[in-house]
Amino acid sequence: MSLILCRHEPVKHPYFIERLGVHIMSSQELCYILYNHPLLAMDGFIDQALIQFIEEELDMPFLAGKLSAWKKGGEDPDEMIFIILQECYYYTSREVIKLRQKIGSYRKMNEAEFAKETADYYFRLKQYGAAIQCYEKILDSWRIKSLSDEFTAKIWHNIGASYAGIFWFGKALAAFDMAYNFDKKPETLKKIYQLTLLNPQLKLKERYQSAITERQQRQWELDLERVLADAGRGEAVREIRELFNQDPLKRTAGAEKLVTEWKRAYRKML
Amino acid sequence: MDGLVIGIDLCNSYTHIACHKPERTWVIPTVVCKNKNQDEWYVDEEAYAHTLIGDGVIEDKLLTQVLKEGTATIGGIRYEGLYLLKMFLKKALELPGKEAGDVPIAGLVIAVSMLDVKLMDSLLYCADYLEIPRERVHIISHTESFVYYVMSQKREIWSNQVGMFDLADESLRYYEMKVQRGIRQMQVTAERQDLEETFHLDVLENMAGAKIADKILSSCAERILQKRLFSAVLLTGKGFESTDWAPEFMKQICSRRRVYVETSLFARGALMKALDYQQEKTAYPFTCICEGRLKATVSLKILNRDKEGQLVLAAAGDNWYEAKSTVDFVVTGAPELEFTIAPLDPKKKRLVKIPLKDFPRRPDRTTRIQLTLGFSDENTMVALIRDKGFGELFPATERMIKQEVIL
Repeated sequence: MSLILCRHEPVKHPYFIERLGVHIMSSQELCYILYNHPLLAMDGFIDQALIQFIEEELDMPFLAGKLSAWKKGGEDPDEMIFIILQECYYYTSREVIKLRQKIGSYRKMNEAEFAKETADYYFRLKQYGAAIQCYEKILDSWRIKSLSDEFTAKIWHNIGASYAGIFWFGKALAAFDMAYNFDKKPETLKKIYQLTLLNPQLKLKERYQSAITERQQRQWELDLERVLADAGRGEAVREIRELFNQDPLKRTAGAEKLVTEWKRAYRKML
Repeated sequence: MDGLVIGIDLCNSYTHIACHKPERTWVIPTVVCKNKNQDEWYVDEEAYAHTLIGDGVIEDKLLTQVLKEGTATIGGIRYEGLYLLKMFLKKALELPGKEAGDVPIAGLVIAVSMLDVKLMDSLLYCADYLEIPRERVHIISHTESFVYYVMSQKREIWSNQVGMFDLADESLRYYEMKVQRGIRQMQVTAERQDLEETFHLDVLENMAGAKIADKILSSCAERILQKRLFSAVLLTGKGFESTDWAPEFMKQICSRRRVYVETSLFARGALMKALDYQQEKTAYPFTCICEGRLKATVSLKILNRDKEGQLVLAAAGDNWYEAKSTVDFVVTGAPELEFTIAPLDPKKKRLVKIPLKDFPRRPDRTTRIQLTLGFSDENTMVALIRDKGFGELFPATERMIKQEVIL
């Protein structure tokens, strides 16, 4: 066990990372982001604003100068990630080498695979809007013909899941419909059926009505009920119940805070 | 150096104030008098004069009053011990102030016989009230003051061990110091011994009493000094203002030894220290191990640029009261802090681990902690560890650990 000594960093204006919805206020946090979100780091993350933050707020003018020179020289932008990590000593040399290999393996992927990896990454971050854009870019690409059915189904499936994440059930249904065309998996069918349960305005296509047995319907209905019941017992619901048990003043203030938080989270998803 | 540089020996009975430029020493009783009718305070002769006239009330034992949270009601107003000490110091510091012509205090070192946190905090509070910046005020023990006084003298005085008797009202103490020359740095160790054979100085006023006192001191000297070699023996305290009453004792200590008398020794030692603080480079390049100074080095295992190392938080010889530090770390590996306590004897070196019990579980290197290290006395280290989280990624909690470690 050990301790890493933190240098004094007089950050007055934390740096906001829009994709993650967080502010960072130390060089250690910056390194953590670079190491744990390499796809974000590879996607133009180290820009002029970040270099300015490093120089002025983290008080690391030498590092900022090095990054600016690198950027100006038009060199490999991925290398800037390692320049930062090596300068901050937050990760060991061995860990930095490991990240270098990981980034190298990303760069070795073909365009479609890399795009899917990026899109999946945004999906995991619940950045559904960004994820959908990336998935659609893969499908629009001229290489579409070279994509396997399985890969195409996965893309459509993830588009469906992304739309469902932002409550666009109609679009989600259409995407799952496309996915089913390629994979014919009962799991996809289950999602289509459950979407019609979540939004009764959506109608199940005739071809699916004949494909789903009554037994499957009952089972999937039960599954959805169980999921909804579990969600009802969740921490978030408990907090809301507690909030509504409070006096009107506290309730209003709490509700306002909660709705603002939801709005912020939803906007982030888009 | 601009401003007054002052050394004070603050005792319950008398206070010695030694000043550099003008080079002078004041000795005043540690009493303060408040005018019954107006908000005026007096010290020294004025204090007694107003008390005798009847318009003032005098308060003594000011240090005891601070330590025991005593109070005094004067003119219907209740004053806390701390307030009385504050007023005493204000008026006492006006003595050198007036003589120097209203110049600010550039350095103040206060020597006290017992280093008690409460008293030290109170003295710094008094400094705040007197608008003396804290970095200009230092509190040391009588033992340390003795060391600085001796080390400011010619080399022949401290070439061997130095002994000192301090005879004050109802207290008899013996101090001894030794200089050890090392390859890298000199080390001075000093100790104080409270002797049981105390007597009130009033006994010296009659011949019979003085004779008994002389005998007591002689037997003490014989027991303590034996036939050991001393480069000097010093005498200090009100009891040695005159040594005529102790012919036997003087004969005993003067035998093959140099003996010096300096009644304001602690104030002079404090002044030497205060003058040294004014210099960019110390004139006393030694490690001082004595009362008020740490006897062990405390370091923490850290990772620096991929390599394991030790970060020294407090070194042996540092003033424990001033050895405070606050450092931020990121925890990696097992959640615990590993201190190394290294006393002067290398065989006694040991490790002390403080686990971060009940701290939230987070991925490696995403817990930032703030370590505040201080000492409640020269043998007790107090570590305060606070969870600072990891920015917005892993928000901080209120979790805090306070642990005392015996050095």
